[in-house]
Amino acid sequence: MTTPARRRLMRDFKRLQEDPPSGVSGAPSDNNIMLWNAVIFGPHDTPFEDGTFKLTIEFTEEYPNKPPTVRFISKMFHPNVYADGSICLDILQNRWSPTYDVSAILTSIQSLLHDPNPNSPANNEAAQLYRENRREYEKKVAAIVQESWNDDDDEGEEDEEEEESKAGS
Amino acid sequence: MSGDVNRQLSHMSEASSCYSDGNSSEDMDEDIDQYYMDTTDDLDLDCPSKTDDPEYFEYEPLQVMDAERLLNEEIEALCTKLKVSPSMAKMLLLRHNWQKEEIIENYQKDPSGFLIDSHLTSRRKHDNLIGPRPMCSVCCVNYPRDRFHGVTCGHMFCQDCWDMHFQTQIQDGITTAIECMAKECPVLVTEDFVCEVLTQPKLRDKYSKFSFNDLIKSHPKLRFCPGVDCAVIIKAKESKAKKVECQTCKASFCFRCGISYHAPTECDVIKRWLTKCEDDSETANYISAHTKDCPRCHVCIEKNGGCNHMQCPECKYDFCWMCLGDWKSHGSEYYECSRYKENPNIANESVHVQAREALKKYLFYYERWENHAKSLQLEETTTSKITTRTQEKVMNNQGTWIDWQYLLRAAALLKKCRYTLQYTYPYAYYMDKGSRKVLFEYQQAQLEAEVENLSWKVERAEITDRGDLENQMDVAEKRRQTLLKDFLEV
Ligand SMILES: [Zn+2]
Ligand SMILES: [Zn+2]
Ligand SMILES: [Zn+2]
Ligand SMILES: [Zn+2]
Ligand SMILES: [Zn+2]
Ligand SMILES: [Zn+2]
Repeated sequence: MTTPARRRLMRDFKRLQEDPPSGVSGAPSDNNIMLWNAVIFGPHDTPFEDGTFKLTIEFTEEYPNKPPTVRFISKMFHPNVYADGSICLDILQNRWSPTYDVSAILTSIQSLLHDPNPNSPANNEAAQLYRENRREYEKKVAAIVQESWNDDDDEGEEDEEEEESKAGS
Repeated sequence: MSGDVNRQLSHMSEASSCYSDGNSSEDMDEDIDQYYMDTTDDLDLDCPSKTDDPEYFEYEPLQVMDAERLLNEEIEALCTKLKVSPSMAKMLLLRHNWQKEEIIENYQKDPSGFLIDSHLTSRRKHDNLIGPRPMCSVCCVNYPRDRFHGVTCGHMFCQDCWDMHFQTQIQDGITTAIECMAKECPVLVTEDFVCEVLTQPKLRDKYSKFSFNDLIKSHPKLRFCPGVDCAVIIKAKESKAKKVECQTCKASFCFRCGISYHAPTECDVIKRWLTKCEDDSETANYISAHTKDCPRCHVCIEKNGGCNHMQCPECKYDFCWMCLGDWKSHGSEYYECSRYKENPNIANESVHVQAREALKKYLFYYERWENHAKSLQLEETTTSKITTRTQEKVMNNQGTWIDWQYLLRAAALLKKCRYTLQYTYPYAYYMDKGSRKVLFEYQQAQLEAEVENLSWKVERAEITDRGDLENQMDVAEKRRQTLLKDFLEV
């Protein structure tokens, strides 16, 4: 059945393939266009560089009038990312506009990795280290960058990873 | 009847010295007595006089229709003055809290600048349509140009997308705050456009209902009655933290903030206090005991009346429920029980000691606040007892209803005084140290003493002499009014 939300998501996917923004990628899951898997590559010149961070994006039939729910599946250490992977980002909440598409969402999250906003912390430890002890902050980020590779290599092998992707769907 | 009360005013200083343990009055007391003597206005409870009553407040109840008419008149007047559409005028009034003069002045100074600041237009007119069959950037479908619409910012989207946008927003209760769909465009969508686009008539009704609520809420001189299922709108002359009583549902509340009336405490202070009480409810829980031991013979005593002046049924010792001290030390001259004595050396103490002291201070005020709330409940029982007994008396031809009315008036006055007394504790808690606090606590202590005297006499109303009781009522109400006159923001 095709609905405005599904039609729009097909357009989003087409646009993402035709005009792929650098450093992000995403696609609908195999049998459900309302659930997407995405990857954000850590931006250059940030402590997240070389990391490959996986996310899920869940849409409702109210899309694009309502924003989707976006969540990191890979472990994240960032002032604006909660422990469960959900993200504190204004365009995903009160500053949402129906003109945003998946490409815009992913690039916004990518730039959040670039410029954390320590004033609205979702992770207090990360926010505090970001403000007061940048070296320690970078060390912690480096650790989750390493972990993000393990995710990649062992995909489907590690029990933990399997559990997680089940929970996400 | 109020004439009687006025005449008895002259006995008042004697009345208060009855409770002073025979000490001679201090200067301050004389001043305050003089203060009372100067105000010889009507004491009638239900109809306070305009000039003298610090709680006097003019307001009237409106039905929804009346309120709508009133708002429409204001909207129309602004339309005519500024030559803008009614939808635009409505939005301007709502955004600027109905400050008509200010709106007119700013609009005439710089119309487009003012509309930009009010989020009713944008700095430049956007044009997001390309070619003869442009693509809608929300649904990504191409349509002929005439299918596209937009507001003053120029961002155009297809009719279906606007319709969907409005549906989602209205379902969430958002009406007057609906914005343009373009990203980072804060321009608001006005009512005329919403109603033109909306396809479902049901949603159009919902829109007008919700937007009416927004209009009332933004109006400083109107407030919905907070009573359950009450549709009355209160219209006041000024937006003040004064008491409103809804004649329809009997709810009583503060006009400015809508919660229970809280004089002399201010709206934001009472909110802070109530939040604190909620946050600290666990710490304060242990206080809720209804029984204490008599400080002299240690028999267990249950508090079943509102009065804090307790008398042990065993040893007849008179003591104070709050501090367990001798009641004799609670005469109006010397009432220390309501005042928290701060550790004068606190700044030099360790963080740990300071934290403990802060908790102690909070509990002191909380305990008194909570105790008066409980006493108010207990005194409800007293009132119903009085009603029953009055009925019996009238049945047995011991006087008429009118003869015994003063008992009910005494109970009502007690309630009113205790209510104010309860709300003096959050006020005192947040007060800065200094001479004003000293004066406040002095008056609070005076009121505290007279309220407990009144409570004691109301509980024993039938054996108390009527003149004595009415004197006590008079003294208590004067104390209450004095405190409010000096500390209630007008
Ligand atoms: Zn569209
Ligand atoms: Zn716009
Ligand atoms: Zn009401
Ligand atoms: Zn208030
Ligand atoms: Zn005793
Ligand atoms: Zn006491």
